[in-house]
This record gives sequence, C-alpha cells and structure tokens, in this order.
Amino acid sequence: MEVEPIPQEAQENIEQVDRADLVVGVLAHLDQDGLVIVCDALRTLSGSPRIAVLRDNHAASSAPANSDTVEKSASPFLIPWPLFRPDAPGMPAISMSTAYQAVFAAAERLEARACCVIASRLETVTPRWACRLAQPLLEEGVDLVVPHYARHKFEGLLNSSIISPLMRCLYGKQIHNPLGPDLGVSRRLFQKMLVTDSNAGVKGNRVHPLTSLVPAALCDNLQICEVHVGARVYPPTDWMNISSLVAQVLGPIFLDMERNAACWQKMRTSVPVSSFGEPVLVSQDTGTVDVTRMVESFQLGIRDLQEIWGLVLPPSTLFELRKLSRMSLEQFRMPDELWVRIVYDFALAHRLRTINRDHLLKSMTPLYLAWVASYANHLETAGAVALERRLEQLCSAYESGKAYLVSRWRWPDRFNP
Amino acid sequence: MWDQVKQALAQSTMRFLTRFANLLPGIAALIVALVLSVLLAWILAIIARRLLASLHFDERLGQWGFASLAEWSPMNSPTRLVSRSLATLVIVTGFLIGIAAFDFEWTYLLVQSVFAYIPNVLAALLVLLVGNIIARFLARSVVIGGVNLNLQYARLLSVGVKWLVIVLAVAMALEHLRIAPAVVQLAFGILFGGIVFALALAVGLGSKEFVTKSLERDAKKVSSEAVEDPLRHL
Repeated sequence: MEVEPIPQEAQENIEQVDRADLVVGVLAHLDQDGLVIVCDALRTLSGSPRIAVLRDNHAASSAPANSDTVEKSASPFLIPWPLFRPDAPGMPAISMSTAYQAVFAAAERLEARACCVIASRLETVTPRWACRLAQPLLEEGVDLVVPHYARHKFEGLLNSSIISPLMRCLYGKQIHNPLGPDLGVSRRLFQKMLVTDSNAGVKGNRVHPLTSLVPAALCDNLQICEVHVGARVYPPTDWMNISSLVAQVLGPIFLDMERNAACWQKMRTSVPVSSFGEPVLVSQDTGTVDVTRMVESFQLGIRDLQEIWGLVLPPSTLFELRKLSRMSLEQFRMPDELWVRIVYDFALAHRLRTINRDHLLKSMTPLYLAWVASYANHLETAGAVALERRLEQLCSAYESGKAYLVSRWRWPDRFNP
Repeated sequence: MWDQVKQALAQSTMRFLTRFANLLPGIAALIVALVLSVLLAWILAIIARRLLASLHFDERLGQWGFASLAEWSPMNSPTRLVSRSLATLVIVTGFLIGIAAFDFEWTYLLVQSVFAYIPNVLAALLVLLVGNIIARFLARSVVIGGVNLNLQYARLLSVGVKWLVIVLAVAMALEHLRIAPAVVQLAFGILFGGIVFALALAVGLGSKEFVTKSLERDAKKVSSEAVEDPLRHL
C-alpha cells in the first residue's frame, strides 16, 4: 500500500518506535499538563496497548528541553511531529485535512490497529474523555468513533444547519458531529482513506479525510458509534472570512455527495447509532444575539446576487426569498423547507458546475446567514429541550425533502430552474 | 471618314471582347470557387450545428456567464451564430480565392493583404474573448466578495471592474487591428482613467459612512467587549 510521504524530520522519530497498537494525533494546542492528562488517560486502556502519541512540533517547542526526540521510557511514546494546527489562520479546513492524512500515514507506518485524533480543546478535561475515543476501537471492534459534544444552541451552527442533518438524511444514520474533529478510526478505515486519497490524488481530486470518513464508513457498512465527550470550545467567529469557511466546509461535502451518489440514493430513513458515555448538559444562557448584520447581508444578497442565485435556484425559491427579505428583524423566520431546498439546489449546482464552484459556495453565505438569523430569533430564549425539538424538526425537513434532491439529481434537466 | 470611324469602333469592340474573353476564365473560376465554398460552408455549418447541439452549447454558454450572447444571435441561439459565422468565413475565403484567380496584379495584392490581416483579426477576437471571460469572472468575484463583506456598493464595484477589463481588452484588440492606434491610446487612457476616477469617487463617498461607523465601532470596542458575540459556526 502506498503511504503518504512522512516528513523527513519525523522519519527518524517514527523509526525509533517501530510499531504501535494505537496512534494518537494531538492537533489541539495542549500544554504540557494537558498532554500529561491525555497520556495518563490512555494508560488506563485495558490490555496495555502500545501507544504512540504524535504531538505538534510547535507545542513541543514550548515544552521542556530534549522534546524534539522520542520519549521512549514507556508507552505512550511521545513523537514530535510537524502537524498543522486546526486553528491555523487562513485555510483551517485545508491544514486540518493535511494533518489528518499525516496521522493516518503514521498509523499505517507503525502498523497500528487504530488511530485517534484529538483536535479540539475540551472545556471539561477529565481523565476519561481521551480514552473514550480509543476504547470502542480496541475493545468493541468499532471502525469509527465520532464525538457527541454537549450541544449549545448557538455553537457549531454550520454543523446544525447543514452538515449533520444533510449527512443524516443522505446516509441514514443520526450522527450529531459527523466532522468530528475529535475522532477514532480503525485500521480498516484509515487504510481505506489512504488508498482513496492516493487514487483521488492521481485524478487531481483529493479526498478531504474529515468529510469523507463518515460517508466512507457508512457506504461500506462499517460500524460507527458516538461517544459523549462534553462541551467543545469553538473558535470565535471571524466575520470577515465567513464565506471562505462556508466554501471550505461545504465544498468537500458536496464533492462526497457526488462520489457516493449511488450509495445515498438507496437510503430512505435514518436510525440512531450506538453511543457510549453519559450526555453532559450545558447552560443555554447566552448574551443577546444581534441579527441585524446577518439580515442586512441577506438583503444585500437579494439586491445584488439575484443574477447568480437565479442560475441555481428555481423561481419559486427566489420568490420566497424576496418575500423573506421584506420581513422585519423581529419577524424574520426562514421556513425549514425553504432552507432545505436551497441546500439541495446548491449541492446540485455544485455537481453540475452551473457556475464556478468557489463562486457558488461563497454566494451561499448570505443565505446561510439568513438561516442563522432566523434560527437565532426562534431560539433566543429557548432551553435544551426546545433546542433538540427545533433541530429534530430541521432534520425531518431534510428527510422529507430528499425525494426532491433525488429527482433533481437524477434528472437535472427536467427540473431545470 | 466613315470607314475610319467604323475601323476605330471595330478595334475598340475587338479590344473590349478580347479583354472580356480574358476575364471569362477568372469569372468561371470565381463562380466555381463560390459554388464550392457555399457547398462546403453548408456542410460545415450543419456539422458545427449538430456538434454544438449535442454538447448543449447554448445552455453551457449561459452557465459560463455569456447568456447575453443569445440576444445577439439569430433565433436567440448562439449555436446558430457560431455555425453561420463559420459558413460566412468559408464563403468569404472562397470568394477571395476566386478573386485571386483573375490573375491581375491588384487582385493579387488585395487578396494578399486580406490574408495577411487575418492573423490580426483572429488575435483581436481572441483578446476580446479572453478579456470578456476575465471581466465576467472578476465581476462575479467582486460582487460576491462585496456582498459577503456587507459593502453597499458591491454591485457598483463589480460593474466598474468589469468595464475596466472590457475597455482594456477592446483597446488591445484595436491595437492588434491597427485601427487608429493614436486615437485608441488616447481614448483608452481617458476611458480607463475616467472609470478609475469615477469608482474612486463613488467608493470614497460611499465608504465615508462605513469608515465613520468602523471608527465608532473601534471606539466603542472596549465597552462592547462585555457583550461577546455568542455565535460559533464551526
């Protein structure tokens, strides 16, 4: 099997370890204490597996001296590795993608049975959560462990509005955080990802490991489970680059839809996946959300982007959007059915290359912000129960709209807007 | 006297008939060249039309941002525009070949200069086409970027950028065609400068409020830090 080239500076370090049962890639910026907690947690895994922890070179540089070599006193072995940090400015999704491929390549080189990636700083770092990702892989024979973060109503909005409900309706499994980013992956699955990526790389169409993991596992009928890992600390919103973020996240998802069309068209309903651990409740109290900026962006889009949206959306949708743009801030509500159709129409336009793909995805941003404004208005004072009900309602809208997506996907000309 | 007139008339008639007879092979060659080129043009037009129709050329052109080309096309079909242009090109070429068959010096020079000019025309067309594509691409990028930055004048900026590139492309095309180069340079300078100046004025005046707001926002930043934006996207 062709393994991703491992950086020269990491070659020697990895040869010193020789082999491992579990490889853990730490992409999150953990300090020395955090790293010690993770290692201690990993030592509690039953069967005393041989563990290699890949830690970022940048993090290592702040650690005590002698940190650029492998610390091989006992498992887990700490291997300094030039990983890209997920919070790298500019192109977060791309640097994440490279980092995940590097972890998979290292796991393959060390002939590991499984690998885990710890990419986010968790609010409640307990000794248990780090090994929760690894446990089902080593003990239950699960192929993919995805996190179930404690949900806060205004966090992970791209996930709540598009990623999770879309994946649920496409692939038939109710996964709350399909893009992780904290994940556990079995040998079978990471090998598949490495092969798929090298094949796709030849065609000039590289696979994004984060977005492709769940579809790849589900289409191959591999076993998936969720683990409750507490609340996640989300990076603050960079309003200047929100359109780039939308494009970087949705592009790979729409590409995967194209790749797995034969698989997702067969799925009809969705079922929950097995989960481990106890759910953690977080407070839903927030400050006031000012939706003015988002609604203004949408109204500007209605004024200036009609020409582009007209190539993607049918006239009925454009009519609904124009109606929406005339609503006052307090009454601003986007119906779920309308939002779902917009997402489906953009996915189809992405497949058909109706316009340049980057333009297409970036032109979706004002529509996404309109949905966020509507959602924020709806849930301003809502608690945890209302939040779950609201998101379930959205997922149902995605599932009921799937027939429309399948029809347009199969016969795009017949439904041409 | 009458005999001399008759002789002169006979001689001029003879000269006319001789010259006309000399023209006849050229006319015949012109007619044959025209008939053959019309035939070839008809066949090529049919092939081009079918090929473009099978490639859904009209729809694709709309998707690439050239929907307005349909308005200029016969029966609103760019496919027909392309096939007819091709046919016209073949007929004109056939006509020029036919003219060259007259074997006069001036026809030879005319045909030679026309053929020598064709690369310039093709280069000018290419420049116009590429300029148009770049102009539309940049205009779309600017309008989308502008809207995402909440700029009220995003559309104006995009139109300005589009016309800047188109004016540049037209000036370059005219330069290739060697049509009044001095006038083109002057007109281009005036137009280009005019558009940039107009855009600078429009953006400057339009962004006055934006800059004021942003300065006010900066001034209020310390007090508003307590009210943090709770929205997180990814």
